[in-house]
Amino acid sequence: MQVHKYDVVIMGAGGAGMRAAIEAGQRSRTAVLTKLYPTRSHTGAAQGGMCAALANVEEDNWEWHTFDTIKGGDYLVDQDAAEVMAKEAIDAVLDLEKMGLPFNRTPEGKIDQRRFGGHTRDHGKAPVRRACYAADRTGHMILQTLYQTCIKHNVEFFNEFYVLDLIMTEVDGQRRVAGVVSYDLATGELHVFQAKSVIFASGGAGKVFKTTSNAHTLTGDGMAIAFRNGLPLEDMEFIQFHPTGLAGLGILVSEAARGEGGILRNADGERFMERYAPTIKDLAPRDIVARSMANEVREGRGAGPNKDYVLLDLTHLEPAHIDAKLPDITEFARTYLGVEPYTEPVPVFPTCHYAMGGIPTNIKAEVLQDNDTVVPGLYAAGEVACVSVHGSNRLGTNSLLDINVFGKRAGIYAAEYAQRAEFVPVPDSALDSTVALLDNARNGTGTEKVAAIRKDLQDTMDLNVQVFRTAETLQTALDDIAALEARYANISIQDKGKRFNLDLLEAVELGFLLQLAKVMTVAALHREESRGGHFREDFPDRDDANFMKHSMVYLDPSSPTAGIRQETKPVIFTRYEPMERKY
Amino acid sequence: MSTAHTPDRPENGRNDDPQDRAPEHGHAPGQGQDERAGYKTDADSPAVDARDTASGAQDPAAANAEAEAPSRVELPEKQGSAGAIPQFDVTLQIRRYNPEVSDEVRWDEYKLTMYGTDRVLDALHKVKWEIDGSLSFRRSCAHGVCGSDAMRINGQNRLACKVLLKDLDLDKPITVEPIKGLPCEKDLIVDMEPFFQSYREIMPFLVAGGNEPTMERYQSPEDRARFDDTTKCILCAACTSSCPVFWTDGQYFGPAAIVNAHRFIFDSRDDAGDLRLEILNDKEGVWRCRTTFNCTEACPRGIQVTKAIAEVKNAILSRSM
Amino acid sequence: MSTPLKARISVPRSKDLEVNGVKYNRSSSRRNNFEMFAWLFMRLSGVVLLVLVFVHLYVNLLVEEGGVHAIDFGFVGGKWANPFWQVWDLLLLWLAMLHGTNGLRVIIDDYAEKDRTRFWLKVFLFVTSAFVILLGTLVIFTFEPCPVGADPALLASFCTAG
Repeated sequence: MQVHKYDVVIMGAGGAGMRAAIEAGQRSRTAVLTKLYPTRSHTGAAQGGMCAALANVEEDNWEWHTFDTIKGGDYLVDQDAAEVMAKEAIDAVLDLEKMGLPFNRTPEGKIDQRRFGGHTRDHGKAPVRRACYAADRTGHMILQTLYQTCIKHNVEFFNEFYVLDLIMTEVDGQRRVAGVVSYDLATGELHVFQAKSVIFASGGAGKVFKTTSNAHTLTGDGMAIAFRNGLPLEDMEFIQFHPTGLAGLGILVSEAARGEGGILRNADGERFMERYAPTIKDLAPRDIVARSMANEVREGRGAGPNKDYVLLDLTHLEPAHIDAKLPDITEFARTYLGVEPYTEPVPVFPTCHYAMGGIPTNIKAEVLQDNDTVVPGLYAAGEVACVSVHGSNRLGTNSLLDINVFGKRAGIYAAEYAQRAEFVPVPDSALDSTVALLDNARNGTGTEKVAAIRKDLQDTMDLNVQVFRTAETLQTALDDIAALEARYANISIQDKGKRFNLDLLEAVELGFLLQLAKVMTVAALHREESRGGHFREDFPDRDDANFMKHSMVYLDPSSPTAGIRQETKPVIFTRYEPMERKY
Repeated sequence: MSTAHTPDRPENGRNDDPQDRAPEHGHAPGQGQDERAGYKTDADSPAVDARDTASGAQDPAAANAEAEAPSRVELPEKQGSAGAIPQFDVTLQIRRYNPEVSDEVRWDEYKLTMYGTDRVLDALHKVKWEIDGSLSFRRSCAHGVCGSDAMRINGQNRLACKVLLKDLDLDKPITVEPIKGLPCEKDLIVDMEPFFQSYREIMPFLVAGGNEPTMERYQSPEDRARFDDTTKCILCAACTSSCPVFWTDGQYFGPAAIVNAHRFIFDSRDDAGDLRLEILNDKEGVWRCRTTFNCTEACPRGIQVTKAIAEVKNAILSRSM
Repeated sequence: MSTPLKARISVPRSKDLEVNGVKYNRSSSRRNNFEMFAWLFMRLSGVVLLVLVFVHLYVNLLVEEGGVHAIDFGFVGGKWANPFWQVWDLLLLWLAMLHGTNGLRVIIDDYAEKDRTRFWLKVFLFVTSAFVILLGTLVIFTFEPCPVGADPALLASFCTAG
């Protein structure tokens, strides 16, 4: 075992992690632990853009952006955080430009902006051009630019180091962060990183579901580790399902496809959105379209041999128009489904896209251990965190903004904390739970296979906790998960070596997934209303009287609901009163 | 479209056993019209919301096209409910190496049954998840944007997640090896450090002199377009490890480093172009390029790599002359 | 701009990032224009050689009746009596040899995997090339078609004609 000492240790090298590293690295001794090479992070898959009220092409201001964010999140947004994000968005974009990000330009040479779903001028009066973009690979350019800037500032990366545990110690009656336990994939060695501050920036947990636009590596490690260490998770029931994922694969087809005139059809060739949203049809909000699609399939009008998807029809559009506006989408359809979008409709189905919830933080990115007490030295930013700026439904482009604004804040505040704090001694028992975790997986002699359990987990989540939820389906999922947990205790893996043992890590990651699946399901069970990304068929309306509050779940073995204790946290309001979510 | 059945089985595309899938979303209870009301209330919402991404949302053509779209069309038969799941057998030969066990390299052969739109990555997953868990390879996003799974498939550098099995000659075994020229660590995993070392050496970051403006630096769309192609690089190393010059001793900077240097050299906001040109004027720099076009052919992002290298050569020449 | 920047950013940066020892660092950096000129030379000499070679072939094979059979000691001697052809052939010799030598040098660089092998192959290459170039140059300039006092039976016809 090796011990390293750093002022700041960052878990994850996606957008939020590297944005934090750039700030922390210039202020204190910083290490970034990442289970992937930094440029493999899933920030790179984002396409559309990053909104900021630059007003480069038309009148705009950050207050309108704040309003859009809050309304988009169905008023479950902490309004102070939304204000911070919208206000600092402008600097976030300018920072990136100064780091070298090649934004598309206006004829006069300024950063170009385009329209994006839910972003409006003057509180919903008309769409506004607010999204700064770099072709259809804004996320890719952000990831590359941040990595390049990290190289410029000589940030220390530990590539392929999995963080498996957070070390917390009681000091003067206060739980404080001492560091993290990390597993070096190349050698199988455990490393302890002692740190004054730790930043979690490990991304989402989309692999809980089968159909997802998320990467294979998005297994919610950070969320699960925090949860296991007694920290709460906030708003975990809110998962955004993007309507148009390539069927079966989950690969994202951007909303631009419908913006450009694409039509959703069922197996009968019917434009079914006419029934669900007679006025705006296919251009309805994400959650509505996703539910309508799922309903078509459920009622037997799905296309394909298994009747399990609907069709995105672009055939009435000019091929030249498709080429000009939707090059990526057409390429994905051709490569992965062998479908020629000029002449054939593309099979699509809702795909798990983004977790609105996560580790609760305040606007300084400090992690909360209850409704208002911070954990000294612990920070979180990006999808792993819940500030909460996305509320119950994230607005398009706001994820790229979130990682930049709160990543930066986390880096600055973590470094500042490290400058005034002392190292907390690492207890002798720091490694115990990690060693036990790995030994259990490595030495298990059971009969169960990791891949089979994961597949069953994803199947039950897709079936029961996806766009339609009822108490009954959620309970089914909980029972399934309990059974899977029992099977998980009985796994064995084939690779017993130390070198690049991904077999072992997949087993560990499955443990994280199981835990998070349970958290999401329990939280969804408690929220007896429908809001944003969470739709309960047994409670189809928003219920502000009882549920205008964040859910906070804690690990509590004594709790009757699957060992998870459910509490709530008030939503922070500043100036916007909840209204019906109408545009 | 060339192959008849591909769109038919996408839900199963990634998974292995079609029998395991629940054929319908049967668990979900409470169907019927009245439930719909729940989300129908929102329905008069915004054209705005869905206007999303679209660069062309403002394009009147889009609106027209939409208005013309018929509410019901006759679909080609196979998109409806007909059609069987295409299924085929593939033989995979994978180069195995694990120095922990033996210094010997061996080739393992696997016979698998795969489906319509499965990719090489799916076949590798099937081996790892069902047959031999010790098979090691990197992967992440699985749709060609993260660059983790560059490998040599049938002798050509490709991303495993972008090669559809049905596009390969399935009568012969499919060979899968790690990319060449970088030290193999285990199975399909190579040490990427030399690759990133070269990348770091060309100073892949913006170096802008002068006073920093309060707002953004201006750049004309033409200046922006000048280096657009090379901004697409995902650092997967498919190009560098396809280069015969790099195979020799790994000292050559390699196409990927040059591509990323190109991205900054031709960025009008950057002031360190001279420095990068000087670095690439090295004995191991651009002059080792033999224009074999292996890199261009290997690039999963379609970057004109060899052309970019030639442009850097020209820039060095015109700077010296 | 480049001078002050250079002071701030050390190049190459791999030296200041110690990763697994030094095994991935470039062996030695040679920052001069040699490789650039070598590259340029190959292109330019290639073009010039095309002209030199084809005119050479045309003059030697097509201008006179009889083609290759018309070339004899006398023909060569006659050509080199003219300073124009002396310079022409000298250029041909030098450019072809340098072009070929550099080409082989590059091939050695590309295919030899060890520095030692490279070194000795190049030593052999440069020595032989230098030898051929010098010998050729010597012949072109010191060629005397009618050496004084030689056996007339061995001389070309035009030596004895006058």
